[in-house]
Amino acid sequence: MRIPQVERSPRDDAVVAGICAGIAQTVAVDVTFVRLVFALLAFASGAGIVAYLGAWALLPAPDDPEPARRRRRISGTVLLVWSGILALGGLGLSNSIVLPLLVASAGAVLLRRESRTLGVALIVIGIVIFVGHNSRGSATTLLAPGAVGVALIVIAGPWAWRVANERARAEERAEMAARVHDSVLQTLTLIQKDPDNARRLARRQERELRAWLYPARASGTLADAVDAAAAEIEELHGVTVEVVHTGDAPLDERARALVLAAREAMANAAKHSGVEEISVFVEPAAVYVRDRGRGFDPEAVAADRRGLSESIRGRMERVDGTARITSAPGEGTEVELQL
Amino acid sequence: MSLPLRRVVLVDDHDLFRAGVRAQLGAGVEIVGEADSVADAVQLIKELDPDVVLLDVHLGDGSGDAVIVQVAPERPAVKFLALSVSDAPEDVIAVIRAGARGYVTKAISGAELTDAVHRVADGDAVFSPRLAGFVLDAFRSGEATAADPELDQLTAREREVLQLIARGYRYKEIAARLHLSPRTVESHVSAVLRKLQLSSRHELTRWAAERRLI
Repeated sequence: MRIPQVERSPRDDAVVAGICAGIAQTVAVDVTFVRLVFALLAFASGAGIVAYLGAWALLPAPDDPEPARRRRRISGTVLLVWSGILALGGLGLSNSIVLPLLVASAGAVLLRRESRTLGVALIVIGIVIFVGHNSRGSATTLLAPGAVGVALIVIAGPWAWRVANERARAEERAEMAARVHDSVLQTLTLIQKDPDNARRLARRQERELRAWLYPARASGTLADAVDAAAAEIEELHGVTVEVVHTGDAPLDERARALVLAAREAMANAAKHSGVEEISVFVEPAAVYVRDRGRGFDPEAVAADRRGLSESIRGRMERVDGTARITSAPGEGTEVELQL
Repeated sequence: MSLPLRRVVLVDDHDLFRAGVRAQLGAGVEIVGEADSVADAVQLIKELDPDVVLLDVHLGDGSGDAVIVQVAPERPAVKFLALSVSDAPEDVIAVIRAGARGYVTKAISGAELTDAVHRVADGDAVFSPRLAGFVLDAFRSGEATAADPELDQLTAREREVLQLIARGYRYKEIAARLHLSPRTVESHVSAVLRKLQLSSRHELTRWAAERRLI
């Protein structure tokens, strides 16, 4: 919520300092009404006059710069509090309630905006005056602790809120640090001890971090299962499998067969191609596994080689899918699997 | 064939990564300047007027597309190639829509990156398999908006080319497979890039929003 800023009115419709006109503009009432209120208040022990002076001090002119506005607030607040005391006193309310209340609320206002120390001091003074004035009444025994409580909330509230906020942020940082420690630092240590496996370790770490940073997909889908299979092949054979997806599909019986066939194709590429990079592309009803390795002549592969004939072709045919293998010596291999 | 020397500015907020790229870039590419923030990059690029800017998608004080937006009006000839480890499609698409001529992942080899710089400098578009996947995704579903159906959909041939890029094919291999000239493949990719940049189809936004939520 934003409270509209009351400003003094510019010179042309001002009688004294443009206070009444400024207030009238902001709250959208007739300026005569505002002037009348100030005039009537002037009869309450002169409260209207003090209030006018307070407002003069408090309200900035339209072209005042920010530092000037700040300085005005303290003196303006003090004058307005004084006028409030005069007014309420004039209306017959007991000083023993009005005075401490006003001092304390002025303190609360200052607390939020300008000077913390001054604000706290005013609130404490308010409480002291209140207790002093009412030390014999039975109401005091009930009210005094309440007043202290309210004061504490006003003083400590924003502070407690900030502390809670900072704690939440600190916890977030701690979790981040823990994760970096558990994963990244461990991996770096492992790599230093075991440089031969650096590539595999780094790749595993990359996969983990990516899964944490970009939790992109729902689990239990086709794309998810292909990702998992690719990760297994990377682990087993020390290769890099780059998986790209467009779209996704639920992992039903046929999709499962597709994933297993794709896994076998990746394993073949890892074992036989002689290169360390494999590209996999996943569509909702197809997976493509490609390498740029040495390739082979599909006609020349012995019919009994289980990998190709059973694990890939047979598997796809049993779910009414197709497997097509494109390869030639020196040109790499692509296995197209479609449902 | 000898290629002209390409002047490159490298924008990335990681020293280590910039050092890696510097060591990897091959013949015909000279790094004339480096920047690690949006503000520095904008100033440096305007000053040096390079052929190509290698641009990280995420920078300390903003995102890569902010650099393009601020530089492009004054230096329309400078070509941008996005280079990132980001897996977030919306970030990548944002840089492309701002005007980058392509996107490659940081896992790219030095030779491929060098090749990509030359191609971008020649005005070609450079799509990594991952970008092709993102783009197919973005244009996959939904109807075209009535405003400009031309821009809002890919032709069957463009789709075919993108699919082959996503499968890991290079332009030359795609050309051989589809019985096209490499030039024609290139022009299809450039057309896709243009559609991606100009299309106002709301699916592009909706798609990005969905990806963020899932």
